[in-house]
Amino acid sequence: MGTVKSHFYEVAGLQFELRCDPELDTDMLLPSFTGFRKRNADSEISVAVVTLTEGEIREDGEMGILRSDISLVWGDNFRFYERENTFATQIKHHVREREWLMVSTRDFKESVIYGNASDPRTGELLSWLLMVVFGQVGLQYQRILIHASVIAHREKEGVAFLGKSGTGKSTHSRLWLQHVPETELLNDDNPAIRIEDNGRVFIYGTPWSGKTPCYKNKKVELKAFVRLEQAPYNKFTKQENIHSLIAVLPSCTAIRWNKVLFQAMTDTLSRIVDNVMVGKLECLPDAEAAYLSSAAVFGNQSTFFE
Amino acid sequence: MRTLRQDLVLRKVGDDYIMVDPGQGMVDLSKVHTLNETAAWLWENLAGKDVTVERVADLLCEHYEVMPEKATSDAIALIQEFEAAGLFAT
Repeated sequence: MGTVKSHFYEVAGLQFELRCDPELDTDMLLPSFTGFRKRNADSEISVAVVTLTEGEIREDGEMGILRSDISLVWGDNFRFYERENTFATQIKHHVREREWLMVSTRDFKESVIYGNASDPRTGELLSWLLMVVFGQVGLQYQRILIHASVIAHREKEGVAFLGKSGTGKSTHSRLWLQHVPETELLNDDNPAIRIEDNGRVFIYGTPWSGKTPCYKNKKVELKAFVRLEQAPYNKFTKQENIHSLIAVLPSCTAIRWNKVLFQAMTDTLSRIVDNVMVGKLECLPDAEAAYLSSAAVFGNQSTFFE
Repeated sequence: MRTLRQDLVLRKVGDDYIMVDPGQGMVDLSKVHTLNETAAWLWENLAGKDVTVERVADLLCEHYEVMPEKATSDAIALIQEFEAAGLFAT
């Protein structure tokens, strides 16, 4: 490869670097990242470096041990392999030129993507692969990428709604926006959470927000996690001790095949759930559900509701 | 020699002692183990050692006011539970 240009981004206070062909228009390819772009960055503080390589002969031979082929985004085309010193993330395609491969060191601090920028999916693929990298690297800096829809209240406090796909996380956020004053959507799919040394927990908007274009480079203090379950009634139950951890753990991103990363995740999460309220909301998709969860999180304030 | 798994980390969450055991298969079958205070104390004191009924019973007798027969039966029960939960190194 000839010359490369470095692009710097900062998400949840962590700087990472994307190196690619100087001709590549990254702002056009990665529109959700423009608000996270960092100019005049110091390369030395990047926690991760991702290099996009085109037209090079990729590695041949054994891919490694197949660890996963489950992906909601890529369906049957996703493969994740573990090798002696690396992990390989593959997005298959029946046309060989459209196959993408990312080889990462075990801590994900360095990755090389073998791809083809003429592929119309380049932006989508790059964004997703950067999310994979950020999700794993962040664990080493007390950040966890979490599958949640999150609202910010009075630009100060956040509430993260968790649940399996199709449970109604986004719907519940919408209900807050409609019925609880002074709320805005912070992120609809993949916010990042962080615990600081003083025990304060923050939730950050990221360039990844699922189908909703909501890419806010903002943070608020995290007030609560609420795990949603569909029910023919509305009921909020506070989750304590081990139940608080079990309610949040399935929504967190960490590969299970690197024990160091996985332990870092459970370590951070154990501390986070000790400092943040966790609740379970069995609910209908109605206004009363939003009133109930907002009252449970913020208390019944007489001037609170419209 | 029967030893405790070294890859599991004991943590306190609220009032509970827990260990998260990441499943290694294609399907995520991660488990969360809960230990009571006694089991957690034993876990920390048995790290790296050969876990025998005698050793566990001795620890129980030293640390708690318990009769040797009761300590022995408790030790057997604990080892069986640890075994069933897959907490010993293979």
